[in-house]
Amino acid sequence: MSRDKTRSAVIAGVLAVVPGLGHFYCSEWQRGIVLMLGLPAQAAILYGVGLIWLALPLVLVWIWNICDAVCLASGGKCSAALAVLLLLAINLAAAWQVTQVHIPKLEPEQRNVIRQILVGLAKPDVAERRTREQTAVAKYLVPGIGAPSVLTPVKREPGEPVLKVSPVKAQKGDRLTVIGSGFARNAPTKLVLLGADEVVVAETKTDSSGRLNVSFRNPRYIPGVYFVQARVSAPVRGWQLSETLKEAAPRMVETIYLALIGTALSLVVALPLSFLGARNLMSGTPVLRAVYALVRTIFTVLRSVEVLIFAVIAVAAVGIGPFAGVLALAIHGIGALGKLYSEAIESIEHGPIEAIRSTGANEIQVVAYAVVPQVVPQFIAFTLYRWDINVRMATVIGLVGGGGIGYQLIQYMNLLQWRQAATAIWLIAGVVMIMDYASAVIRERIG
Amino acid sequence: MLRIENLTKVYPDGTVALVDVSLEVPRGQFVAVIGLSGAGKSTFLRCINRLVEPTSGRIWLGDVEVTGAEPAELRLIRRRVGMIFQQFNLVKRCSVMTNVLSGRLGYLPTLPSLLYRFRPEDIADAKANLERVGLLEKARQRADTLSGGQQQRVGIARALMQKPELILADEPVASLDPATAHVVLDELERMNKQDGMTILCNLHFLSLARRYADRVIGLKAGRLVFDGTPEEIDDARFKEIYGEEAIRVEVA
Repeated sequence: MSRDKTRSAVIAGVLAVVPGLGHFYCSEWQRGIVLMLGLPAQAAILYGVGLIWLALPLVLVWIWNICDAVCLASGGKCSAALAVLLLLAINLAAAWQVTQVHIPKLEPEQRNVIRQILVGLAKPDVAERRTREQTAVAKYLVPGIGAPSVLTPVKREPGEPVLKVSPVKAQKGDRLTVIGSGFARNAPTKLVLLGADEVVVAETKTDSSGRLNVSFRNPRYIPGVYFVQARVSAPVRGWQLSETLKEAAPRMVETIYLALIGTALSLVVALPLSFLGARNLMSGTPVLRAVYALVRTIFTVLRSVEVLIFAVIAVAAVGIGPFAGVLALAIHGIGALGKLYSEAIESIEHGPIEAIRSTGANEIQVVAYAVVPQVVPQFIAFTLYRWDINVRMATVIGLVGGGGIGYQLIQYMNLLQWRQAATAIWLIAGVVMIMDYASAVIRERIG
Repeated sequence: MLRIENLTKVYPDGTVALVDVSLEVPRGQFVAVIGLSGAGKSTFLRCINRLVEPTSGRIWLGDVEVTGAEPAELRLIRRRVGMIFQQFNLVKRCSVMTNVLSGRLGYLPTLPSLLYRFRPEDIADAKANLERVGLLEKARQRADTLSGGQQQRVGIARALMQKPELILADEPVASLDPATAHVVLDELERMNKQDGMTILCNLHFLSLARRYADRVIGLKAGRLVFDGTPEEIDDARFKEIYGEEAIRVEVA
């Protein structure tokens, strides 16, 4: 760039009142264009987000622009650091405002949610005490036409728990008291009104000597005999998997399989395409080079769209469920694996290719004998790595309806089942860690 | 058997590798090609089987013109020309046996070869060739477990699978120690004398050319500057080929 000594600093300074014009005068085209477009754009952004007060420091940048123009006219050049730092500060301040960063004032309800999640994380619902159910039945009567006038006593074996209702006759809405004994101590208990429309009328616990004392209002009005049953979950030796785990573990397996099929599908497509996307194999003729460029473009496009976006589209297209997740992973994976495979092919030794070609082998044989043996270990490593990534992605995909553990998790959250949600989070974390470690070990072995 | 007329190669980046080289090689001759690194020796050999496409000039192998041959025809020509490389160019992860068998690919239909299926007579042939280079007991080992000299002998066995008329050897011993170099060159000599193969061999060292070649051609900056018997190379000729500052180094 030629610096003309005859330039006037005054003219430069005056021109620079319009940002960038002074720089153009001094033939400093790059800075001129950046300032001329950048300063108005920055001002427009601040105006757009309603933070006009931040235009004040922008004036400093404008002053810097004039100083720089004057400097340039006199043969010097100002450091851009000052302007860049000012702009950075302005935009950080704007971003802070726009994203509403603040320490939230937690409502009691929100605090409760956070507490429940933390408690759930600390005490995940993994296993529970094995229980045996003790039951005892008592009868009562709603008098009227068709109902017997006297109750026959309930038969029971000696040593079994006893249950009694009083009074034995009741109208709808009357309070009935149930007294029982001979149950397990301090055990959770459900009181159930038997019948075709079984209903839980009370939940309680037995006391420290295995007695039960609970009351409920009679919901029945049709005359007849009614049976009320106490179901006591008596703890016995040993533990069993919790209901949550029984529910979430199959979903976790579904996620792992979802990732596996997604990876397998992208492998099937990416594998043949990757040979067409390897520069060293595709540089022979202009046609080959065009195919190479096309394939690599496809890979780039597929890879640059996030899995989550494909997932949202797939859920819309094929409905909520694991298949939507598989589609999303497969499509994104074609781009990701294809690029890795192609680069693996490009990094092989050329010597064996030359050697096989010189035997009179055709191009397909050259690929089979000189290229494939060289890339197989890397292909395996990349595919494992992809599976590993896909398991992580699959959980996120589940949140938008792609099936698997993620879908289960979002359901727990929607039902405010925080402890179950926390259990699912632990499950995901555990599996991801194991996959991560295992794939790293295997990749090291192969490499 | 090999006729080269006005062979010129200019690479796309403008590097002039060969300028107007003409040569005729009768059947059964052992020709050493000498010259400095970058003199065009490798390009010269690779033009003969068109691993490198010549810019201009014509090449005949027997009655068949190599230059201008269609891909299918070119593959038939390449079958007749075995090639041996400085870096051996074996497929490292494959077994020695597979590497040797791959020399037969030009004779095989595509599909069975993709499944790594070879005919029994090819397998017998491969064993015979491995026996010939003294490596039959290594047949099942991975190629990269072998020493350099052994790998080059596998490379020779691979070339032998083609039953070639012409062998192009591109610095076959430049990566080997002097003792191993002689083992490899002795094998080339046997292929030349016993089997009547014509041999074109790039060599760094004049002493090796003297010991093995019937005829020496010298390349300098892509031009043919010497063509004669090894004995004809005196100090003046030597300096012409290798430059004024060169000192003769002998390899035993």
